[in-house]
Amino acid sequence: MKFTLSWLSTFVSTKDLAPEALAEKLTMLGLEVDAVTPLYQGLDQIITAKVLTVKKHPNADRLSLCEVDTGEETVPVVCGAPNVHQGMVTAMARPGVRLPDGTKIKKAKVRGEQSLGMLCSARELGLSEDHQGIMELDAMLAPGVALTEALDLNDTMIEVDLTPNRPDCASVLGIAREVAGFTGRPLHLPVESSPVLDGSGIDFSVTIEEPSLCPRYSARKLTNVTIGPSPWWLQRQLLAVGLRPINNIVDCTNFVMLEYGQPLHAFDFKKIRQGKIVVRRPRENDGTFTTLDGVERTLEPDMLMICDGEGPVAVAGVMGGMESEVTETTTEVLLESACFDPVSIRKTARRLNLPSEASYRFERGVDPNITLLAMERAVQLMVELSGATVSDNGVDEYPGHQPLFELDLRVDRVCRLLGLSLSSEEIAAYLQAIAFEISGAGEPVLHVVVPSFRPDIEREVDLVEEIARLYGYNEIPTTMPTIAMDYPDRDPLRLLRKKVAAVCTGRGFYEAINYSFVDEKHLDLMRLSEEDPCRKVTRLLNPLTEEQAVMRSMLLPGLLENLQHNINHQQPDLRLFEVGKIFIQQEEGVQPEERYQLCAVCTGLRYPGASPMFFSGQQSDLLDMKGLAEDIVESLRIQGTNGPLDFVPLADDCRPYADSSSCISLVDGKLEIGRMSLVHADILQDLGIKQPVCFFECDLEQINDLPVAGKQFTPIPKYPMMKRDIALLVPDQVPAGDLLRAIRSHRAEHVESVDIFDVYSGKPIEAGMKSVALSVTYRSPKKTLDDVTVDRIHEKIVNSLMTSFGGRYREGT
Amino acid sequence: MESLQRISRASELEPFRVRFLGRRGGSLTGIMRRLSEVSKEDRPQLGQLANAVKKEITTLFEEKKKELARKPGIKADKGLDLSLPGRRIPFGKLHPVTQVMEEMCAIFEGMGFAVAEGPDVETDHYNFEALNIPKHHPARDMHDTFYVSDSILLRTHTSPMQARIMETKEPPLRYIAPGKVYRCDSDITHTPMFVQVEGFLVDRDVSFSDLKGVLTSFLQQMFSKDLAVRFRPSFFPFTEPSAEVDIACVICGGKGCRVCKRTGWIEILGAGLIDPEVMKMVGFDPDEFSGFAFGLGVERIAMLKYGINDIRLYYENDLRFLAQF
Repeated sequence: MKFTLSWLSTFVSTKDLAPEALAEKLTMLGLEVDAVTPLYQGLDQIITAKVLTVKKHPNADRLSLCEVDTGEETVPVVCGAPNVHQGMVTAMARPGVRLPDGTKIKKAKVRGEQSLGMLCSARELGLSEDHQGIMELDAMLAPGVALTEALDLNDTMIEVDLTPNRPDCASVLGIAREVAGFTGRPLHLPVESSPVLDGSGIDFSVTIEEPSLCPRYSARKLTNVTIGPSPWWLQRQLLAVGLRPINNIVDCTNFVMLEYGQPLHAFDFKKIRQGKIVVRRPRENDGTFTTLDGVERTLEPDMLMICDGEGPVAVAGVMGGMESEVTETTTEVLLESACFDPVSIRKTARRLNLPSEASYRFERGVDPNITLLAMERAVQLMVELSGATVSDNGVDEYPGHQPLFELDLRVDRVCRLLGLSLSSEEIAAYLQAIAFEISGAGEPVLHVVVPSFRPDIEREVDLVEEIARLYGYNEIPTTMPTIAMDYPDRDPLRLLRKKVAAVCTGRGFYEAINYSFVDEKHLDLMRLSEEDPCRKVTRLLNPLTEEQAVMRSMLLPGLLENLQHNINHQQPDLRLFEVGKIFIQQEEGVQPEERYQLCAVCTGLRYPGASPMFFSGQQSDLLDMKGLAEDIVESLRIQGTNGPLDFVPLADDCRPYADSSSCISLVDGKLEIGRMSLVHADILQDLGIKQPVCFFECDLEQINDLPVAGKQFTPIPKYPMMKRDIALLVPDQVPAGDLLRAIRSHRAEHVESVDIFDVYSGKPIEAGMKSVALSVTYRSPKKTLDDVTVDRIHEKIVNSLMTSFGGRYREGT
Repeated sequence: MESLQRISRASELEPFRVRFLGRRGGSLTGIMRRLSEVSKEDRPQLGQLANAVKKEITTLFEEKKKELARKPGIKADKGLDLSLPGRRIPFGKLHPVTQVMEEMCAIFEGMGFAVAEGPDVETDHYNFEALNIPKHHPARDMHDTFYVSDSILLRTHTSPMQARIMETKEPPLRYIAPGKVYRCDSDITHTPMFVQVEGFLVDRDVSFSDLKGVLTSFLQQMFSKDLAVRFRPSFFPFTEPSAEVDIACVICGGKGCRVCKRTGWIEILGAGLIDPEVMKMVGFDPDEFSGFAFGLGVERIAMLKYGINDIRLYYENDLRFLAQF
């Protein structure tokens, strides 16, 4: 809602209220001011000037040579406007002055003739769209006066961001009422009463067929209308709030709508067939309907239409029709001032995608008791501005008349909800200041009559808010609640997510957050088959773009796009992870299943950002991912349902986006709960990524269901350990991890731990074999082991390794 | 003693020991032996002196021995350029939105609020109806909603948790609900997904001044102890009275700048007393219980705290952005 200070001051005095102070006060009353814009900036530099003589320019047909009185001197000015004439008073920019568009006026020679300034059109001064010629001002104005003074242009536009509960403030009157409330100044209405209309002695009729959707319809007829432009005082107010002046009749309807909040519509009466207005729903034979904006609309059976004797002439409360529009040739006008059901208007405006100033107000609730007053204001203006005569009588159908809403207000309730101690009288005074009628002041329960312009006040608590608002939210004391202590349950999944994220960041992974909605093409990119469960996506009905059309069913594609983005920005060494939800579509009409997953990706250097001096450019590989997974499992003490979780290399059964030669599955027994691999080369190629990328993904809901190993102290060993190294030659295809596993199985024989410290193939090792160097730690909890015992166990283990893996000692060790 | 000082290699230690302290040919040993040749009167004095000398030389010799044993290590350290950067294993960081969200949660958890989360894909019922926003209410204009079907949508706020929790639990209640929310709106100041923390407290005799206390306390923890906070009336269908909360502009300190549109204030959260309709829908008697609810955007707070000027940076996951926080 926009209004000007000059307009507001016709309703209530704004004397001594600076625009900023007013804005602050309104904001603190719940009418948030979005902008305070001084109008007509720079026009104080423009002066009035009187054209003394006009001659033809000797060297140009369309230019005139004028002598102009600037109040101080007479100067020559070259003017191109067709309307310049001797004796006119117009607006002039002298050399050195800037126009609102930034143009600086200079002394000039125009085709050899000197010009010391520029005579201006209204458009050049940013006053209106008018560029027909230079401004024709009141001839009685003295030259040399600042234009702002001559036209009384010191004004400010204030824009309020209205909340939907305050339709009353979508009007200058509504704002003025609030100002009157807090200043205690009287409210002046331009029209304070209206004649009673009983429908007799007129040549048109109004029938409301849908009284539930149209509680009131008032109308009057004007004749002898002369259509023309509105005067400047009216145009300037419309222009200041962003409405384009059209003609005196239409401008009056808009002007009064902005003043009173009552949308009005003017029909060309001669286009109203049979002189009948019928408020009804469309009929099948009504066909389509062309609105004022020239668009042909399809009508739906539940819309509300204003019809004449034959068919629709307006979409009720939304927009008028092209056919019955007021035009230059209109001489008779039927003026509508009506009230419509908010929900019906809202549905229709939505369906037609046609939000208008009228529908904005109707869907929020227009005061049904103001139709006559607003119509009277418009009628008086139209008579004044278009020379029209108005019929003495008119129509005022009011089938939805209802008594004013009444409420009880408990003083105690107000005080308890707000944390205040207010008296019954104080509360009454607050409400009376904004036109609520109160009885029982002084009693513990007040009786309140709600004015009809406040449809938002329906309950006691709504009155409590009014009192809080008027008392001042900032004046209400600040206290802390006294609530019983308790220790609420912590969500284990949330804790798990935090712990997982902590392990990831500790290992150099940065957290990424991606949109939950993605492009369905991601699924093709991931090479998923048509039957893949991740293809069951939840689709949005109204996505912003195709790139955000379905809910994601996996996290990896988003992270790959993040890698792509970073690599394209010269950052090839990356470790990212995301902990987020994926969505699995269920049957129609049911919310999708939402599961938290972890996905991590790495590519490029193992220690990105660290000095190459220390880590000599090591490239990350799949074992970095495995390390991350192992760290998560170990630091979170995650156990399988039967024994520890296991990492199993997969040959077949890899996900289609994985490189099948490098898949590892994290399993609990047979159940897969995570997997890691290189990303399939085709996918990287599609993304233009030219370096290998590893990923790890796992389902955190599954992990959350797994048991966690408790913390249980075991005594620190009393006896020393002994180490023995082995270098074994084994066939290439023997997984080194299997050797570890085999050695660990000898736990009963004092094997405490085993590590691989080297794997080597190539010369001098024969082809088809590799050397695996292992270090085994032996310790007994009961005694110090001696060399003989350890050697015996060690030999036994080595022998069994050689038997089961077809290996032998590497010579020379 | 001079010759002891001159020793610089361990190999020179033994000849010194043999020369001075050796049992057989050591000069000090020799002196001790020859004490018998001295007169009886002088013997105790000379003996004491010889012992003292021997003790001192022995001490100095042991020190020299230790010093020489230390030397190789010290020499190697001398080659280290101490101005080189430390050898660090790089670590990652949480996304700034997560960092700020966790900070917010921690403050509320400190005040005894529990954390609850709900589904991102919500029903129209919990997102709107249960919060007193019936179909065709103009307040739905404030929520540009992504729909999955007529009755299922992407939550436009995390407030649905308010209804979900109140349906199943009895007061006193204090919860916060952090999570992603969605609005079909995308421009320089809006991303279609953002993170919100919604919270509520219900008990007997909870008042608007309690709401002011909790939120002021939260904002001062989040920003600074002496932060100016103001409350002004607003409208939300699920609260009455409703408030918009502003903080003194953290950029200009309240003097007025571009960020605060020259008002000196920045809108930071919405709040209010829970509407009696919402209470009734979950079966709470609004005359018996009252409460307040509030909601804040995490990105906005992160922007103010860290001076981030473009909301779109949040979901590009550019390392140059992520590494800054």
